[in-house]
Amino acid sequence: MRVGRPIALVALFVIAMTAGWWFFNHRTSSAGDRITVYYTKIDGSTEVPWTVSLGPARDPKSVAFYAATQAIAGPPAGTDAVRFPPGTRVLAVTINGSTVDVDISKEVSGLRGGSFAEAAAFKSLVWTMTALPSISSVTIRVDGARIPTLPGGHFELDEPLARSSW
Amino acid sequence: MSSMNRLRARAGSALLAALIALAAVAGPPTRVLAADTPNFWFAGTRLILARPVNVNGEVAVAIHDPGFLGFLNRLGATVAWQPGERYVVFTASDHHTVALTIGDSQYRAGASSARAPFAPYTDAQDVYVPFTTVARALYVEPVADGGDVVLQPQLAILDVHQDGPRTIVTLRGATPLHFKKTFESSERVVLAFTGVGSPLAATRQILTASLSIVEIAPGGNARNPTTTVTFGGAALSIHSMYPANAPNEVTIAFAPQSIALAGVTIPSDWPTTAAALPPPNRPPAAGPLATPAAAFTPAPLPGQPGFGAPPVAATEAPTTVTGVDVVPTNDGAIVRVALSGPAYYEWHRLSDGRWYVDFRNVSLASAPTEQQLNLPAVQSVRVRQTVFGPTPVVRLAFTLNGDRTVHVDATDSGATVTVESAIDVNLATSGAGQIGAAVAGGPGGDASRFGAPVPPPPGSNPRLIVIDPGHGGSDTGAMHNGLVEKVLTLDISQRLRTILASRGWIVRMTRERDVDVVAPNDDAKTELQGRCDVANNAGARLFVSVHINSFTMPYLNGTTTYYYKPNDQSLAAAVQRRLIGLLGTKDDGARRENFYVVRHTTMPAVLVETAFLSNPDDAAKLRSPAFLQNVAQGIADGIADYAGSPSNTPPQSSFSGE
Repeated sequence: MRVGRPIALVALFVIAMTAGWWFFNHRTSSAGDRITVYYTKIDGSTEVPWTVSLGPARDPKSVAFYAATQAIAGPPAGTDAVRFPPGTRVLAVTINGSTVDVDISKEVSGLRGGSFAEAAAFKSLVWTMTALPSISSVTIRVDGARIPTLPGGHFELDEPLARSSW
Repeated sequence: MSSMNRLRARAGSALLAALIALAAVAGPPTRVLAADTPNFWFAGTRLILARPVNVNGEVAVAIHDPGFLGFLNRLGATVAWQPGERYVVFTASDHHTVALTIGDSQYRAGASSARAPFAPYTDAQDVYVPFTTVARALYVEPVADGGDVVLQPQLAILDVHQDGPRTIVTLRGATPLHFKKTFESSERVVLAFTGVGSPLAATRQILTASLSIVEIAPGGNARNPTTTVTFGGAALSIHSMYPANAPNEVTIAFAPQSIALAGVTIPSDWPTTAAALPPPNRPPAAGPLATPAAAFTPAPLPGQPGFGAPPVAATEAPTTVTGVDVVPTNDGAIVRVALSGPAYYEWHRLSDGRWYVDFRNVSLASAPTEQQLNLPAVQSVRVRQTVFGPTPVVRLAFTLNGDRTVHVDATDSGATVTVESAIDVNLATSGAGQIGAAVAGGPGGDASRFGAPVPPPPGSNPRLIVIDPGHGGSDTGAMHNGLVEKVLTLDISQRLRTILASRGWIVRMTRERDVDVVAPNDDAKTELQGRCDVANNAGARLFVSVHINSFTMPYLNGTTTYYYKPNDQSLAAAVQRRLIGLLGTKDDGARRENFYVVRHTTMPAVLVETAFLSNPDDAAKLRSPAFLQNVAQGIADGIADYAGSPSNTPPQSSFSGE
């Protein structure tokens, strides 16, 4: 009879741990399951929102990293959008207060030579990042370095960008 | 009692041991640095993974493994992860993303989610992901072949959409597609793809007027797969291949015979890749089948008797309104007023959203009209005669939603009044001008069309304009279609200098030859600031930077004038309007952007993006000296509209509202 009590306690503990593990890894949908990502139409200025489901990580930095990767990838093929050059990827994302710093790989320099694409591509990134809670501006790095513009470019990158930059 | 305790303790520890053993089996996966992972073959060669790990029989690969990165590179895919980050995001060449989470086997590919055989995990240096899961999500199927595994690219996506009467089919694969047409009759087209298998359903009913079914038949073997795609259509339909957006896809349009199809015949010879085709001029989705690029030319007014007639000589007899044509646009409106003779006009903006223009010495032959437009920018428009007798007045009035921008353009036989959705940042409250034969001034000298000229900023040299030919020297700017931006910008700038100098302006160029303004291979900011310094230090009245646009998608075309400082909007608008009137390019508008030279100059400044040298139509125009001359002429005329002439600083307009 008394043997049962510690067994039951251990079993309860195991069940609780398992349930906890299951809960943290398989949380079902709640309010923050999706993020809004923007792309720029080929008129070079109109921002179009679409939504992307998040994975289980919901801390602000993970979500910001995820949002940046989606903005750089752009909408699915078949949608006409001003896109970042092929191969462009997110290297790192850091949040400092209401500013998010996005470090992008050097392939982004493929945007140079056309002021049209520079302004339009960065606009979609800035709109996506500032759609996140409590983010109001975006700073850009290319391959880890802060640069004034892309090489041979026009668009200013050395100051925080906000929606009001357009 | 004590034996009971011992029994209890023994039972407890036995249970604990059992639980630990169970956890050891079911808990963390067994990871073995694997000599026992299979040999992977991809694109005819063995794929060498530096550190494959066997996790319960599945292969885990580090995302920085050189072999794996080479594999991704062949697919045109990328991977993003940062240390400490839980998400690992792959982006495929068709822009769909595959998002995995460290510690969670659930992953998302495009819009759907699935479960991997094990959760990605991290060690001190790298992240390990389930290799075959990622490969499949990037449209590569691992196929067993003897003891090896062949990573077989798949023809994975069949996308069908309707564009008016046309049925557009896009096939998308993991790698560049190689195919040819092997059979064609009035009802069937057969394409053979080599090097790809396919997971697509064997048949797909389409059921449009021109295409009824697509059949997919994989064949060949593991290492040399083929896929045959058969399109079955109506007997009278035609088809054509569109240039693809990416080498991994092919797009074919089907339509009834009565419909025009652009594109090209599908080749019957190897090797064919859709990407090898000449670039499209318009995106498929926007209808490359339609007529080429919608070049904007200000249209004469259809059905308006007053327009198209030769200009009427100045006369004392009252002019009459012979037609009023209201054309709602997306958010504003264009009103064309046809007049039988010359007229003087003045316009006023009132604080309550009303805006009106009075045509003096003009009578209205027809009844007064009022139209409710209920557009975002404009609620209604009214035309009526407000003054009768020997000096009649006809008034065109708008009720605007806020301080929208309104332009009045005098033509030889009337006026075009345009309401735009943009808020007029300058909030000019009045202006005036002359219509018809009495209009004075040579080309571009007619500042009255755009209201009063803007006086020079205090402290500036009122006669000095700085022209900045974009790029130069070590910085070529954009290059496409055999054209080089730095060469064209200098050519246009030299023409512009000649015109401005002939009108009495003092002109300084940031560069006169093919050189860097500051130093060869200097950084962009130094170079751009150097250009601004030329104008800032000289106290120029205006700054104009000349550029040629470019983009990776060749179908983008058109002309844009950029500004940054809000007060420069009217200069940009004036230049843009003159350019569009002369060039026949698409009007991409006067836009505000965070561009260095228009921001860091202290005087009114614009950056003109003349046309897209990446667009075949625009490139053809840019090869013509006459076009380059028109660009210079348009900029010069826009400057004249904005600033008047250098010799006189015209008085401010002084009309009072009624």
